[in-house]
Amino acid sequence: MDPSIALRTQILERVRQYAREKFARRAFDPAKDLVHYAGRVFDEEELYSLVDASLDFFLTANRYVERFETEFASLLGLSNALLVNSGSSANLVALTSLTSPKLGDRQLKPGDEVITVAAAFPTTVAPIVQNRLVPVFVDVNLGDYTAIPERLEEAMGPRTRAILMAHTLGVPFDLDKAAGLAEKHGLWLVEDNCDALGSRYRDRLTGTFGHLATFSFYPAHHITMGEGGCVVTDDETLSRVARSVRDWGRDCYCTGGENNTCGKRYGQQFGTLPQGYDHKYVYSHIGYNLKVTDMQAAIGCAQLGKLESFTARRKANFQRLMDILKPYEDRLLLPRATPGSDPSWFGLVITVRENAGFGRNELTRFLEANRIETRNLFSGNLLRHPAFEGIPHRVVGDLKNTDRIMNQTFFIGVYPGIEQAHLEYMARVFARFMGGERVS
Amino acid sequence: MPVVQKLRCQVEKIVDYGEHVYTVELRPERPAPKFFPGQFLHLALDEYDPSGFWPESRVFSIASSPAQRDRLRISYSVRGRFTARMEKEMRQGVWVWVKLPYGEFVIPDQNDVVLFAGGTGITAFTSFLDGLTPQFRHRVYLAYGARRRNLLIYRDLVQEKSRAVPQFRVLFFIEEVPGGGPPPGGAESGEERIGSVSVESIWAELQNPGRAVYYLSGPPLMLKAISQDLGRRGVAPGAIQVDAWE
Repeated sequence: MDPSIALRTQILERVRQYAREKFARRAFDPAKDLVHYAGRVFDEEELYSLVDASLDFFLTANRYVERFETEFASLLGLSNALLVNSGSSANLVALTSLTSPKLGDRQLKPGDEVITVAAAFPTTVAPIVQNRLVPVFVDVNLGDYTAIPERLEEAMGPRTRAILMAHTLGVPFDLDKAAGLAEKHGLWLVEDNCDALGSRYRDRLTGTFGHLATFSFYPAHHITMGEGGCVVTDDETLSRVARSVRDWGRDCYCTGGENNTCGKRYGQQFGTLPQGYDHKYVYSHIGYNLKVTDMQAAIGCAQLGKLESFTARRKANFQRLMDILKPYEDRLLLPRATPGSDPSWFGLVITVRENAGFGRNELTRFLEANRIETRNLFSGNLLRHPAFEGIPHRVVGDLKNTDRIMNQTFFIGVYPGIEQAHLEYMARVFARFMGGERVS
Repeated sequence: MPVVQKLRCQVEKIVDYGEHVYTVELRPERPAPKFFPGQFLHLALDEYDPSGFWPESRVFSIASSPAQRDRLRISYSVRGRFTARMEKEMRQGVWVWVKLPYGEFVIPDQNDVVLFAGGTGITAFTSFLDGLTPQFRHRVYLAYGARRRNLLIYRDLVQEKSRAVPQFRVLFFIEEVPGGGPPPGGAESGEERIGSVSVESIWAELQNPGRAVYYLSGPPLMLKAISQDLGRRGVAPGAIQVDAWE
């Protein structure tokens, strides 16, 4: 027997032992421990997979990438899943793909408009700007924090070609409206599903409605591979283009270490290149290198197997926290799902009511001082940030709610790492604040 | 392109047509991924260690139907070192590796389509033909040739479809007829011509040649001759799709 096989078995068994020792669960100590808003939840399986992939030392995409992409596409019931190195990269790849000349008269061109929201994470909107397209901002609802459906129709202009929006913190936007509008006007629909893996709309997983959808596997997200993301589509042309955009813009689709996958490496004619120029070095797009390693995918494979239980825990934690916060509804606007949706909540979003008698920062300062992590709803209003102030854009109506979110909204965690002890502690801290206690 | 998967497959059946032409049925260890008619797979004879590099392989059109994911079928003729190894090493029960699906030689229902197939090049179309029904909204023409009648290895499938699909028209071509006389075959010989697959023989049949898309799969000399002839007849380069591998 090859001695390396026995050694590998020993190493992996020791990795399991190490994981059990190093990362053993311990009781929550409210006097010292943080209640994180999000975080990686893992056990020995993730470490096992990670080390297993590292022992292959293939490094670039290989068997674990193939496995993850296969299982992920299967979960969504789609043909194509393409791993990238982050959710932000996924958005960049997805939107850039829509500018491909391979799409013919549906290609997005500079100056074309993309409907989106300003109460967003910056890299949902940044790819619109980076591709010299024009974002058209609509306001969002308070409570579900997704685009006001009526505004989407109002946003339509002669150059409107696409909709790119996030299912904010797990809450699906009105997909009936958005998909209907896309179909009616021939728009591209891109779902930024980075914060909503496991959410459903009319019993169907989000990320399966758009021409393209994106996912993030950053540690704060529903599953993680450290850094990582994914672009999914059921459209074969978009898949091929997205792969090209991800992989330096090249026309060739060989993965690392492969040659002549197309079977005609030296037999084709492209542009004004000489006949038979090596296909490996033919570029059909202005692309990037946004690939993942096999080690990242290995972690993702272990995490994907836990998605169902993670989703259930997110929903349960959300519900328990809602019960805890219900008595304060006169001062706190609590979140709600959009009609027809079943969110896999990323967090529990709270907007401090105008007549609450305290402001958002007063409350978050108190929570943070008591080791309960809080986060603003990302940028609040993206248009008020230095990088976005001068971008060409259009606003439909006003962004009154978006501004309120910027001033009065934040969220706390519901991730699977939050357990009963954390919830009880959070209940006590909220009660103290609502009873009048403040940070001195 | 659907997610590419690498699968270990057992050779379940080999059909030997003589003259070094074979059809191989493969049984994958797990169901094959979704693929489209006209796509191809890579086949490797050497053991593949999934933690390492993919071994030497060659591409073959997937001749079986996408509806049947528990079997994969390819056909090949021995033309070089790798296919000579296939002829020598592939036996019933042997394990091989495949990865699939690849390729964009896919025929959409957008125009009349004219298929030119030479020899085992027909496999680029068999999956499409297998799924062809009267619901296909356009006309389909097939010119299918081989050196000898016994090497028209998918003739049965083609004839079955010809009977079932009114808008499907087929012409067979046989390059060599024993004794040099007219081909035997009774009534069906009306569909059969002696000689190489040519544009000339099918051109008059086409109702609107300027709006058709032409798909070519077969030996390099045939591809070159047909492409040039189509060009001479004013067919735009974009309307000529060639399935050519090295």
